Amino acid sequence: MTGERPESRATLDGLDRLEARLGHLLRTGVMSAAACLGIGLIAWMVAEGPLSRAILTIGLVILMVTPLLRVIVSLVAYARMRDWFFVTTTVLVFVMLLLAWLLRP
Amino acid sequence: MSLLLIAAVAGAGATAGWLGSLLGIGGGVFLVPLLNAGLGFDFRVAAATGLMTVIATSSAVSANTAGRNLINLRLGMVLEVASAFGGLIAGYTVERLTKHTLSLIFAIVTAAIAALMVTRLDKRNVLAADVDPGPLGGRFHDDDTGREITYQVKRLPLGMVASLLAGAVSGTLGIGGGILKVPILNAWCGVPMRAAAATSALMIGVTAAASAPQYYARGEINPPIAAAAVLGVMLGSRFGLWFSGRTRVKWLKMLMAVVLAAVSILYFRRALS
Repeated sequence: MTGERPESRATLDGLDRLEARLGHLLRTGVMSAAACLGIGLIAWMVAEGPLSRAILTIGLVILMVTPLLRVIVSLVAYARMRDWFFVTTTVLVFVMLLLAWLLRP
Repeated sequence: MSLLLIAAVAGAGATAGWLGSLLGIGGGVFLVPLLNAGLGFDFRVAAATGLMTVIATSSAVSANTAGRNLINLRLGMVLEVASAFGGLIAGYTVERLTKHTLSLIFAIVTAAIAALMVTRLDKRNVLAADVDPGPLGGRFHDDDTGREITYQVKRLPLGMVASLLAGAVSGTLGIGGGILKVPILNAWCGVPMRAAAATSALMIGVTAAASAPQYYARGEINPPIAAAAVLGVMLGSRFGLWFSGRTRVKWLKMLMAVVLAAVSILYFRRALS
């Protein structure tokens, strides 16, 4: 399936680094989304209006986009490893997440 | 929309998140009926809210698990091709389903989850012998036994089908669907329990992200309600994790299986009315 054997040191190190990087990305994403949602919710309770709505929307969009960013970062990592099977796989997932935003009933 | 309603949604989220992390399943299966049957939200609004909490749970749990080699990134990405496809199709077609059909699907899925919870009360890691992990397998250090565990992935097509179904269920009902694929990955595809759970937790975020934007575009995500639910679930699951180290969850699993069976009956009756 893949050219490179997975237990080769370089690939394992690459996957370890990718896992750590994705961990940081996911934490940053969910924490900044939660901060926006918390601030937005308080603002909404104090005074419902365009500002509170905008902050809440930003929080929700950050939340929904975080998995998409995770896929993009993975794609770059697999391309650097020249692991074309996983590049293809990741591109497929990326296209579907993009379609989720673009497809309209 | 009253402050009381916001507080009730946050409370529902906290309860669902707490139960979910305590039982090792996502909280969505509790949150969606609490919002729909309990607080009277439209099913699709409840499902859309559930999807937002699924993404938050996935990101938060995976951020904590990352770095222990438990998440199988490559297997996860291959299975995500199927689960994201299922989510995408479901997010697109869900508006063509009537409330009765949605209730029927929800009733069947909750009954299945209740049954899975009871039959898998004592499941632990399946400890594989030392094998060549192959391109999709993995290895990690098992804290319980102090051993290095290597595993190979078997019957990948079965895992793909399970992921496709879990993705479709997730996009239709607003739950994570992890409990539908983890047992299959564990029992038939050779993935040890903890690796299957960690990989599934990462996958459900991408899966939900394949259907959530479509709910969003249809205006079914209510920002303050979704915010209250997400924050509630995050707080509740943190509390549940802190608790799970010191409580025996077996009796709780039995109790919650009964609760889910009752939820299932409620939705069967809604489907038939």
